[in-house]
Amino acid sequence: MSKDNRRLPVPSESKSPYLFVSKDKKPTVLVDENHLRSDGRKVGEIRPIYIRAGAVSQARGSAYIEMGQTKVLCAVYGPREVTRREDFSMKGQLKCELKFATFSRRYRCQHQSDNTEKDLSMVLRDTLEPAVCLDRFPRSHLDIFVTVLEDGGSALAAAITCASVAIARGGIEMYDLVIGMTVYDEPPTDNGTVTVGWLPCIEQISGLTQRGQMDISITKECLKQCVASCQKMYPVIQQTLIKAHPNKLE
Amino acid sequence: MAVVQGWKNWYPGRLGYVDFVFGLDNLRNDGRGCEDYRSLDLETDVVSNSSGSSRVRLANTDILVGVKAELGEPAADKPSEGRIEFFVDCSANAAPEFEGRGGEDLALAISNTLAQSYDNVSSLDKRKLCVIPGHQCWVLYVDILLLECGGNLFDAASVAVKAALFNTKIPNLDVTKNEKGEPSLELRDDPFDCMRVDVAAAPCLVTLNKIGYHHVVDATREEESCTLARLIMGVTADGNVVTLKTEKSGSLDPESVFEMMQTGKRVGISLNNTLSAKLKQEETMAPKKGKKAFLR
Repeated sequence: MSKDNRRLPVPSESKSPYLFVSKDKKPTVLVDENHLRSDGRKVGEIRPIYIRAGAVSQARGSAYIEMGQTKVLCAVYGPREVTRREDFSMKGQLKCELKFATFSRRYRCQHQSDNTEKDLSMVLRDTLEPAVCLDRFPRSHLDIFVTVLEDGGSALAAAITCASVAIARGGIEMYDLVIGMTVYDEPPTDNGTVTVGWLPCIEQISGLTQRGQMDISITKECLKQCVASCQKMYPVIQQTLIKAHPNKLE
Repeated sequence: MAVVQGWKNWYPGRLGYVDFVFGLDNLRNDGRGCEDYRSLDLETDVVSNSSGSSRVRLANTDILVGVKAELGEPAADKPSEGRIEFFVDCSANAAPEFEGRGGEDLALAISNTLAQSYDNVSSLDKRKLCVIPGHQCWVLYVDILLLECGGNLFDAASVAVKAALFNTKIPNLDVTKNEKGEPSLELRDDPFDCMRVDVAAAPCLVTLNKIGYHHVVDATREEESCTLARLIMGVTADGNVVTLKTEKSGSLDPESVFEMMQTGKRVGISLNNTLSAKLKQEETMAPKKGKKAFLR
């Protein structure tokens, strides 16, 4: 981990405190014999969600989502004209920036985006692109800024959902919403996570990432689980958008 | 329907490719089937100043990989493991778009995908790279240089990385303790006393490009330009998938994703097996006389 010496002036021979932290804090049993997790949820149950469309007043569209301890804020600006001539394209472009707040995780994050954040930004962009009618704003780009205020797991999934709600709230034409969902596969067999961006109306996958080793039959199962959970979330998100509409649709 | 969006953006050239090419016996414009790779040239030990190196030429794609082993500090959360770091350099020689910061996104995508595929215990046992737990470990800096782009960069880069790691030789160290109990490192006298990296389980990336109703592996640049969505898989020799991600601006039907995953697994296993066999074969061959020139 890179040290910020201006903030914490420490002797040069000192070691990271994380080396001495006991690893016992992690729950050893993720799912107990009653098929319940450490916080009392069932295996396929998602955490309580709170979504609000419209959280930043200056932005064209914005949204805030809480999934348990994970809190994500997203603001959408634009479409703006592309200034660089080389970037001109008849299709609109999405520019995503996902940033973890410096205090959002156990390890302090740096101000400058690191590789993980840049990678997640690209995943987010690729996941949102199929859902937005890009040909409606040629030669311009849409800025999507996502800030993870607190990362309690599944930050990418929350960011995907939050960003799609923010775009919809901004009145930008879309083919469909995108709902993100992450499934973690419990160790004995394999150990990995699958994150899916799901288009609930068209019923297609807009983005899929897997980390960690898995057999494809298990990936398939995880994917199906993700899709089922996304479909459950869909009416909640629809309600949020209807409620947030300025003309108060009945 | 496989691809939702993009019909409006399909100009005649693109549609023409799909209709014309797959119309006849599922063959592509260069005569390959959907699961065929182009012929691949592989050479290891090409850069004398590195711990391990390789060069891969896949039709027009040309990639040079150098691995440097250096001593460094282990990551705080994994004190008894070495590190492996990937860096991709998109040389402006390869494509004029890469000039300045143009290739940054692509470089990051490749290096992150590789880092992800090597970031688990089963791909590469990083505990063997540890020297003194919590203090010193070997850091493998894997530098990937794109010399020419002819499509399918991810797969070619992963093959080159696996070959370069196979070729990597890390000097063996002895850890001794002085009278104060402080550890010190000692290099052995014999310069050939080296440790090898076990790449038997290292993954290869397989990119599946969805074109129309078909998915093809090892796409050429032309094929990549008419791909709306693609799936990149990291597959090990025993068929486990260590990384998976979709790219580009198309969406995919779940059923077609499952089909692509099956194909990717099948192709990945055979790619890994062929590569391992060829690497072993190359090692037993007589040493080369002088160094070969690049881009030949």
